[in-house]
Amino acid sequence: MTQRNNVILIVDDEPDMCWALEYILNKRGYVTCKALSAQEALELMAQQQFACAFLDAKLPDMDGLELGRLIRERAPDMRILMVSGYFYRDDVSIQEAIARGVIIDLISKPFLQAEILRVLET
Amino acid sequence: MGERGTSAADSPESQRYQQLYDMLLEAIPSSVLLIDRDLRIVSANRNFLEKNRRTLPDTIGHRLDEVFPAIIIDQMDFPGRIRQVFEKNFRVKGERMTYRAPGIPLRIYYYSILPFSWQGVVELAMLLMDDVTEQVRLSEEVRRVERHLASVVESAQDIVLSTDMEGQVLTWNTAAEKLSGFTLYAVRGHNFSDFCAGDDQGEMERIFANFQAGREAQMAEVDLKTRDGGRIPVSWIFSPMKDHLGQTAGIVAVGRDLTERRKFEAQLLQTQKLAALGVMAGGIAHEIRNPLAVCSSAAQFIMAGDLDPQFQKECAEKIHAGILRASMIIENLLRFARPSVKPDIKELNLTTLLEETLSLVTNQARIDKIVLQAQWPREPIMISGMEGLLQQAFMNLLLNAIKAMPDGGGLGVALGQADGEAWVRISDTGQGIAPRDLDNIFDPFYTTAPVGQGTGLGLSICYSIIKQHFGTITVESGAGQGSTFTVRLPLL
Repeated sequence: MTQRNNVILIVDDEPDMCWALEYILNKRGYVTCKALSAQEALELMAQQQFACAFLDAKLPDMDGLELGRLIRERAPDMRILMVSGYFYRDDVSIQEAIARGVIIDLISKPFLQAEILRVLET
Repeated sequence: MGERGTSAADSPESQRYQQLYDMLLEAIPSSVLLIDRDLRIVSANRNFLEKNRRTLPDTIGHRLDEVFPAIIIDQMDFPGRIRQVFEKNFRVKGERMTYRAPGIPLRIYYYSILPFSWQGVVELAMLLMDDVTEQVRLSEEVRRVERHLASVVESAQDIVLSTDMEGQVLTWNTAAEKLSGFTLYAVRGHNFSDFCAGDDQGEMERIFANFQAGREAQMAEVDLKTRDGGRIPVSWIFSPMKDHLGQTAGIVAVGRDLTERRKFEAQLLQTQKLAALGVMAGGIAHEIRNPLAVCSSAAQFIMAGDLDPQFQKECAEKIHAGILRASMIIENLLRFARPSVKPDIKELNLTTLLEETLSLVTNQARIDKIVLQAQWPREPIMISGMEGLLQQAFMNLLLNAIKAMPDGGGLGVALGQADGEAWVRISDTGQGIAPRDLDNIFDPFYTTAPVGQGTGLGLSICYSIIKQHFGTITVESGAGQGSTFTVRLPLL
């Protein structure tokens, strides 16, 4: 496994959220890369490959689920996780996105470190 | 007309009298019959014949009971009375008779029976019948209308009262008695102003002064005192009461108890506010859970221990900042949600009020990919008003703007002051308002939103709040061109 495949993309317009996720993942040994908007995320995707992405549900320029669909088109094997305070797990749009394989799972804010790592590593 | 059985040896002079008599008899609007001792009809004038649909041949020489219905003859005791006329030279005057006969509409007569004496002997009885059907009907109608009007006034739920030009109470209906607890007896002759709440008495005196100066109808909201020491809000219409010469003779006041309406208005405001809160809820959840997630993560980092002191401090700072942010959002929300039962008018800075209001919808705007552009003036813009209500009005305008841009756009907020007025402009780049809807947007329950997505109350509530503050609200819009709402309020 090359290092490149361990890089994780964090997309959240809230710098402090990125800070928290970066700390959790970096401590575990992952390399992270952050984007504060969907546009920024897509630009990063054009430059390099990511093993996984954590997406906020509401980005200033696009819905997180919409960004998930765009990423899925570009990288069918990438693991995409949604981290959101907006949705709850039983939301129809979340259930649908999981069923269609757009995202693997939804993690509600606030979350436990262990939860992030469990979802990432199972 | 008819034969009177008098001697044929008539002199020209008596023929002359005969002609005059005939003429009079035909001309008077009364029925005239001459009846002899045997109760036979000797003479009948045209009026009688026409009213009773008879001809001379089947009347003259016939007995009374062949001409009048038996029931009338019995009821009126014509034979007995006519006998008295003959025997005692007695006159029957002004009796009322209801004449019902087959094939003839009901008539009412006043009748008299007069003796005709010649040289001391009663020769004939004259039955004079005046048809008063119309008069009776009219006076009954007048009485009926009077009774009807009185019961309209008495049954009305609204207060109806009248005063003279000086404002002394003349009448006071049941509703007025019930609402105030003061009886007509207690108020009659007293000055109406005395029954208005203390701080409204001046207003009432001004209204009466206006009438004395020739003003027409006036409207006012003046509280009425109640007997138990309370007061009820009443909306009044005062109108001058004109006499038959067109002179103002007094004043009529119709008043409606506003207690229920005030309650309803307060409920409506609160309901609409809760509906607006529902719209905001999604954005607020997101906005609060973000700082919570940061706090939670930072706390978990500290709990794990073994941290670089610098990083530990950073974690604590993030927690502190996150808590402040979350509680700020909650505080703004609470302030908005709190019912303003007794709104206080106070001096306030419109800029601060708008900044606070805008901060409540920032989250929602961000979620909907709306770019906020606010232009805050440097100097404070001071107005006098009810903070909670004004915030609700601006909140409605902001939420409307956001709703008009489901696919994102720009929301502009600008304010300033000019010509003694403060102005606030809220503009969006959304779908705009169709020209046919523009005239109705401030009407209650007018909505173009699908069922369940809009109460149609937001703008009508804005309108009434701004009106209460002696301001105006206008809109410029076109379908597909976005909308701009401008609110103007008097400066302090």
